[in-house]
Amino acid sequence: MFTVNRWWERYGIQMSLVLLAVGGAWTLRQTQGAALTEVYQVISRPFQVGPVKPERLGDARTVELQTRLQEVESQNIKLKELLGYVGQAKVKGAVVAPIIGRSADQWWQQFTLGRGSAQGIKEGDIVNAPGGLVGRIVSVSNNTSRVLLVSDPSSQLGVTISRSRNMGFLRGDSRSRAVVQFFDKVPDVKPGDVIATSPYSQMFPAGLPVGRVESVDMKKTPAPVAVIELSAPMDYLEWVVVSPKTENPK
Amino acid sequence: MNSVSRWHPRTRQLVNWTVTIGSVLLCLLVSPTRFPGMELLGIGPNWLLIWVVAWSVKRPAFQGAVAGLVVGLLQDAVTSPEPTHALSLAVVGLVTARIQKQRYIQEDFISVALIVFGMSVLAETIAIVQFSFTGHQNLPDIWIYHQRIALASAILSSLWAPVIYYPLNRWWQQIKAAEQS
Repeated sequence: MFTVNRWWERYGIQMSLVLLAVGGAWTLRQTQGAALTEVYQVISRPFQVGPVKPERLGDARTVELQTRLQEVESQNIKLKELLGYVGQAKVKGAVVAPIIGRSADQWWQQFTLGRGSAQGIKEGDIVNAPGGLVGRIVSVSNNTSRVLLVSDPSSQLGVTISRSRNMGFLRGDSRSRAVVQFFDKVPDVKPGDVIATSPYSQMFPAGLPVGRVESVDMKKTPAPVAVIELSAPMDYLEWVVVSPKTENPK
Repeated sequence: MNSVSRWHPRTRQLVNWTVTIGSVLLCLLVSPTRFPGMELLGIGPNWLLIWVVAWSVKRPAFQGAVAGLVVGLLQDAVTSPEPTHALSLAVVGLVTARIQKQRYIQEDFISVALIVFGMSVLAETIAIVQFSFTGHQNLPDIWIYHQRIALASAILSSLWAPVIYYPLNRWWQQIKAAEQS
């Protein structure tokens, strides 16, 4: 008994502090850090870009179109173009959200958005940007949300080649590339083909453009593999559109 | 240097804890940013790993491991909980403390940068092991992916380590000197 008392006197405060720290961190982890991302959103508000800043998009064709626009029109037209993109989406409840942060570690490829459940964003919502599919929402707090990008290696979605309707499984590879593994041994695919989400995808609605085929490796086993260049320029994005998930007709 | 020792011990302890917890929160809040010049291939420095190394390098093994565990759980909170970062950061804290750098090298800057480099590689290796246990298919591709980011992350973290290490180390040295006098 006496030894327990003496041990408690010496290490009691340290032990309780350790338990407090571990308990607090566990709580934050279980709530997916909602408190922390809210604080981050408040602090980063002065740095958030307004929609009138010109974007540098990575696609060569898009750069060409941007240059032509900028030569003739003003930044005001850029804002109208963005709003017009939301109008074209024709989905009720589409929210335009700014990207306020990237991933807080190097394992996951995520974005942190500056809109959350207060604006109607829910887990599982689809995230698009000028260019194509970006990803889906994996966690939501009051004013922020987190997107898991298609370029993350753990992202898997069913895709189809728009031209020949061959199906495959897309998996992220790096920041701007993804890899598609086809179901057929001899798929009808060539470089330049456009890849879109397939009707059999469970997490994404059909027909969303994902990327363009860069190269095909027919000799890979067990099935041919194609490297896709993602059409949404992940590195240069500053605004995305979040729309609710709709079920694909079975 | 002397001003801290003139404070009341309770005040000193309180300010010390505020600085410690405040620096963790600062590292957490800086992690999602990518300021130009601070990123390589879209990856930023692993600020929380640098903090764990700064804490553990002159502390006993148990404190290093607990700090790694807590900071790892916090990193889970802002990214994704499975697989957990707590394991890799706890091992980093433990190994850094066990190195007992002070017995061999008094110099701080370069040795800490090298330790951060090595610990970053160690943390990525543990990550690869964790990912292989979660049942991901395509293990070779995950290997290659993580090797790529491991190098970029290690270089960046070791280059930016002194930014976190130097002020924190100065502060904790002052506290230690004040406590002993």
